[in-house]
Amino acid sequence: MAQNECQIPDTIAIAQGAEVTKEMVDQYNAQSGQMDMDKMWIIMGPQHPFSHGLWTLKICADGEIVTDADPIVGYLHRGWEKEAENRTYPKIIPMADRLCYAASMTYTHLFCMTCEKALGIEVPEKAKYIRIVADEINRLQSHLMWLAAVGTDLGNYTAFLWASREREYWMDMNIRLCGARLTTNYPRIGGVRNDVFDESTRFLRDLYRCCDHFDKSIWELINLIDNNSTFTSRMIGNGIISRERCANLGITGPAARGTGIDYDIRRDDPYDNYDKVDFEVPVLTTGDSYARYMVRMEEMIQSVKIIRQAAKKIEALGEKAPYRLKVPSKIPAGRTFCKLEDPRGESMMYLVSDGSDQPYRLKVRSPIFVNVSSSKDLLEGCRIADVPVIMAMIDMCLGETDR
Amino acid sequence: MTMEYLEKYRDGRHKCWKDLWIVRPIWTATKLLIRTTVHRPVTVLYPYEALWNPDNYRGRPGLDFNKCVGCGMCARMCPCAAIILVETPDDEGNPVMRPQINMGRCSFCAYCAEYCPLDAMTVTPIVELAEYTRADLIYGPRRLAYEHTTEGMKVILEETLLSDYNSGNGEKRVSPFKVDRPELDGNKCISCKKCAKACPVDAIKMVEHGVNAKGRPILWPEINDETCICCSNCVDDCPKDALHIKEVL
Repeated sequence: MAQNECQIPDTIAIAQGAEVTKEMVDQYNAQSGQMDMDKMWIIMGPQHPFSHGLWTLKICADGEIVTDADPIVGYLHRGWEKEAENRTYPKIIPMADRLCYAASMTYTHLFCMTCEKALGIEVPEKAKYIRIVADEINRLQSHLMWLAAVGTDLGNYTAFLWASREREYWMDMNIRLCGARLTTNYPRIGGVRNDVFDESTRFLRDLYRCCDHFDKSIWELINLIDNNSTFTSRMIGNGIISRERCANLGITGPAARGTGIDYDIRRDDPYDNYDKVDFEVPVLTTGDSYARYMVRMEEMIQSVKIIRQAAKKIEALGEKAPYRLKVPSKIPAGRTFCKLEDPRGESMMYLVSDGSDQPYRLKVRSPIFVNVSSSKDLLEGCRIADVPVIMAMIDMCLGETDR
Repeated sequence: MTMEYLEKYRDGRHKCWKDLWIVRPIWTATKLLIRTTVHRPVTVLYPYEALWNPDNYRGRPGLDFNKCVGCGMCARMCPCAAIILVETPDDEGNPVMRPQINMGRCSFCAYCAEYCPLDAMTVTPIVELAEYTRADLIYGPRRLAYEHTTEGMKVILEETLLSDYNSGNGEKRVSPFKVDRPELDGNKCISCKKCAKACPVDAIKMVEHGVNAKGRPILWPEINDETCICCSNCVDDCPKDALHIKEVL
């Protein structure tokens, strides 16, 4: 770029006593201004301790202030959508688990819901409530893992340990429910994999105990972080994004609810009997990192309430109620669109079926891919030290972003 | 329904006078100290003691060699293509087909146990699978055996038929391997007997249906409803696509 080439003054001549004219100084300043010499691109790359997963965040720093940000994703691209086209519908369910390691249940649920919608099947009541319980367990363990990650980002290692400890109880619930901790492979097209009334696992009994325990232990976590101004002062007032800007960028989930957008698919477009359980959607209007943190903490408390109500409904329906329908292996040709409230936002799937037992095309809309692309708006004007805190509030998960 | 946390903390708890300076944090820390001293630790000393897991825990698959018929349903359903059928001598020395699992490819989804028509494949709680070479990760049919199989380790596939569910008879559950049966399109059949050879449970018998133009007998497969396990091997082996699985819904 000949235009941007800076004519460096003859430093040796100046050192030997040559005169520095005003024109030389003006020319140097003008040219260095074109080159953004005072700005610096910092690459917080795949190996930076702040990034949860394989992604790069390039931030442009003017001194200490961030002026621009450029997220680079794609290191974890596995060709998920193409691979799904070569598989029969039941074989995509274990693959949908691997979309996001922290939200495996919701993605599997979403895929099964899309197929059921394409088939025109209504799943049994009991399966719907079991799916609600499974989804909320998943939401709790995902939020607790986010809290653990935020703890380390804020330098609060105790929060990491305590949140991980509480998360283990919900992971145990996953084992009781389906036999695996993370890659659950539990929902099926037409219902769920197995019943919850199993004598050897005692899922429902342990679920109530786990809820009772969590009601107490969540307050320990809240007291640990909220009563400590070292951590709240790092969250309050940074990463502010306005309600309109947030809506225009397409941010969804707790990050949007922290800015005042009162929208939750579970309440406003209910799927799977979410309209028959009673819960509140936390909404705050400040739009900073602390609001996003508070929304997630309140969501956890609400999730426990949903689990209790849904478990009571399952008990009332009894052991003999159907939980899994036999569905045809082939899905009729057509286009189906389905959406669901993920722990991170709105995830959607678009299925184009051609009448065979394999999908013609399966498109996944992941919330984090949209949320992370707004990092320029979130980070503009903050300091470099605040970048990990602001980006942690997005709750990055690269598995679903790159697919 | 109320939002307990947000209502209490909306203005930021750290500004509240009720924090009582450092008395409250010290009281909280003392409570925690006492509690963590009295209670046992949440972690376990792993190699010396292990966490308890319920029977349905999805470790490596286990196989009941004599119950298995070698239908290949596990190999067909495996999403990772970790399972292949290999020829193995059985107890009497006759060669039979049995699954062999490459545990380096296994994703622990337990589809093999779920879709096994005879519940010969089960889940087991074994998770310590590290080996020194990749060849050691390949589990042959005899090595897959697990001695302490309980009822809880079997993954039983029970489904409700849509017709039953819509007619209010939702409590009836059936196994898809007992209701779905292969169906023959007689016009396409060329009497090659490949389906009878492919059937692992010998449920197919070739029955004569008249003679053709050349005077040779026309043989059509007849499927025994009692012994058929709906493994769809006959459908896969049919050279003329004369057979297909008729799904009962």
